Amino acid sequence: MNDQNNSQSTGSFFPSDQPAIIGALGKEKLIESLKKMLLIRNFETRAESAYQQGKVGGFFHAYIGQEAIQTAAVDVIGSKSWWATSYRCHALALLLGATPYELMAELFGRVDGNAKGRGGSMHFFTDRLLGGFGIVGGQTPIATGAAFALKYQNIKDQVAVCFMGEGAVAQGAFHESLNLASLWDLPCIYVIENNFWGMGTAVERAISVERIAEAKAIGYNMKAYTFDGMDYFNCYAGFAHVKKEVLETQRPVLIEVITERFRGHSISDPGLYRSKEDLKECLRRDPLLLLQKALIQAGMLDEETYKKIDKEQREIAVAAMEAADKSPWPDPITLEEDVFAPQGRI
Amino acid sequence: MTAGTQVIELREALRQAIDEEMIRDERVFVMGEEVGDYNGAYKVTKGMLEKWGPKRIIDTPIAELGFAGLGVGAAMCGLRPVIEFMSFNFSFVAADQMISNAIKMYYMSGNRYSVPIVFRGPNGAAAQVSSQHSHCVEAIYANFPGFIIVAPSNAYDAKGLLKSSIRDNNPVLFLESEMDYGDKMEIPTGEYLVPIGKAKVVQEGTDITIVSHSHMMKRCREAVKELAARGIRAELIDLRTIKPLDITTIATSVRKTNRCVLVEEGHIFTGITAEVGFQVQQHCFDYLDAPIERVCQRETPMPYSKALEKETMPTVERILTSVYKALSKKL
Repeated sequence: MNDQNNSQSTGSFFPSDQPAIIGALGKEKLIESLKKMLLIRNFETRAESAYQQGKVGGFFHAYIGQEAIQTAAVDVIGSKSWWATSYRCHALALLLGATPYELMAELFGRVDGNAKGRGGSMHFFTDRLLGGFGIVGGQTPIATGAAFALKYQNIKDQVAVCFMGEGAVAQGAFHESLNLASLWDLPCIYVIENNFWGMGTAVERAISVERIAEAKAIGYNMKAYTFDGMDYFNCYAGFAHVKKEVLETQRPVLIEVITERFRGHSISDPGLYRSKEDLKECLRRDPLLLLQKALIQAGMLDEETYKKIDKEQREIAVAAMEAADKSPWPDPITLEEDVFAPQGRI
Repeated sequence: MTAGTQVIELREALRQAIDEEMIRDERVFVMGEEVGDYNGAYKVTKGMLEKWGPKRIIDTPIAELGFAGLGVGAAMCGLRPVIEFMSFNFSFVAADQMISNAIKMYYMSGNRYSVPIVFRGPNGAAAQVSSQHSHCVEAIYANFPGFIIVAPSNAYDAKGLLKSSIRDNNPVLFLESEMDYGDKMEIPTGEYLVPIGKAKVVQEGTDITIVSHSHMMKRCREAVKELAARGIRAELIDLRTIKPLDITTIATSVRKTNRCVLVEEGHIFTGITAEVGFQVQQHCFDYLDAPIERVCQRETPMPYSKALEKETMPTVERILTSVYKALSKKL
């Protein structure tokens, strides 16, 4: 890590009390969260190997290293709100209830895929996930529209959550969205997942400020928070606070989560811009490792059980892969179907 | 004026269409620059803020990308936005949200999210508004699968088609002409719809088919009148909907007249007439007695000067010249 990264990651985060959260959530819920994070890790690791075997094509952006963030967010906010994210969307789809099979089948381009084999790795959906969006920052107006719809429909117990990488902060769509959300009191939570790299461009070469959320939010009369994205508990505490605040105030909030992606930007990126030492250093703060340690310390987990859970999740991912390989290809006769939605009242 | 009709301007027909659909469906709302307090840059939404309030008539900041995208998101979550662009030239700022999100979403999401949204506003040239406010956008957007593109030329069609557009479950580009907003027409007072995807033969004839849409229909009507005075009976077709294209109506006409002139306000290279012309030769190859002629905007940005603006746009004279060429006659 370079100096700036160090100064960012060692800056102060939203205060969180790990023992208190462990106590409040209890063993069952925490093991469930660990399971989800392990499912995401194993799903993507298997999918990467499927990619290497030529079973998956196109772009493939792994969330590996960032799992704690969206796992905590969905744990706190629940799947009954609106969600949107970038093309790095595998984890959020899994967390919001898409099955490993439908997602793997989508990666394989098969008819049973999450989007019938039309979307691929960057475009996963659920009934509340508005998408994996392929244009950097393109999801920010969409999530703002979801928050607008909540306000229009007078729904006060839901929010819209919009994830993006730090690279999106340079896009106009981000700024127009924040201005509109603040101007119109829209319940939208914007989450900048700062993994320090926009493809191969380091954040300090792309974004003119540090502590991005805190610096940008002021300009839109919004509140801002900074979380430690490697620490499930810090994310949990932060999202819990923000959810409560947004529901109470019906105002948008901007969050920066400091994180690391352990892989390249996409599967075709060997990450030559990052030294082995830097990567090794950040792997020490693997969110899975940190959660595992905390749960072992709390007496809720032992090494053996961790391995067992990991193995179970790996088996789920492998089974999804095997099943996806057997899913039929989409029939070319359907190629031109569904460009337009059917008519009639919806 | 006959019973059950009203004589109104085209802008009022548009207002009535939106108003009726807002009564019919509470999910319909209007969003755009100056649509509320200012009563609309071209007064299409005059009085609507007072009637409906700021929840459903929403003034935006100057942020086309933001509010167009917000509309797409709202449509994905169950609302039915009518987004006004003060000029369709400003839609270029919003293009990513329209192209990457609105039109691809239903297909790309495996049918999970439809996007029932109307983008409407004036398209093409007004009077001397120069290069950056005069472009015709239909040919650009028609290249993208997923857009429905509607371009009425009169108040009757404008009202009926806008109502159909708001009820459609897909992204619709509804293209108006600033030059036509004040045009008066006698139309029914009662509710009616005009279906999307149907062209209209507005003048029957036997000697040649002229096809156009939107503001250029006026030039074509003048040309047809002039031709009639000279003993040439031209059949005039108003596309009304550009996409999906009603090639059946056009081909039926060309098979009768065996000659065809296509007129559009937009530029000639990959213009709407290029597509229509290609489809006409596909459907009518054996019926054509002469090459298809096109009258389009010349290949320049729109100049400001009156003298130049007039020259770059299709004129009655240019239409007549093309008709005579297609008829192999001397003007």
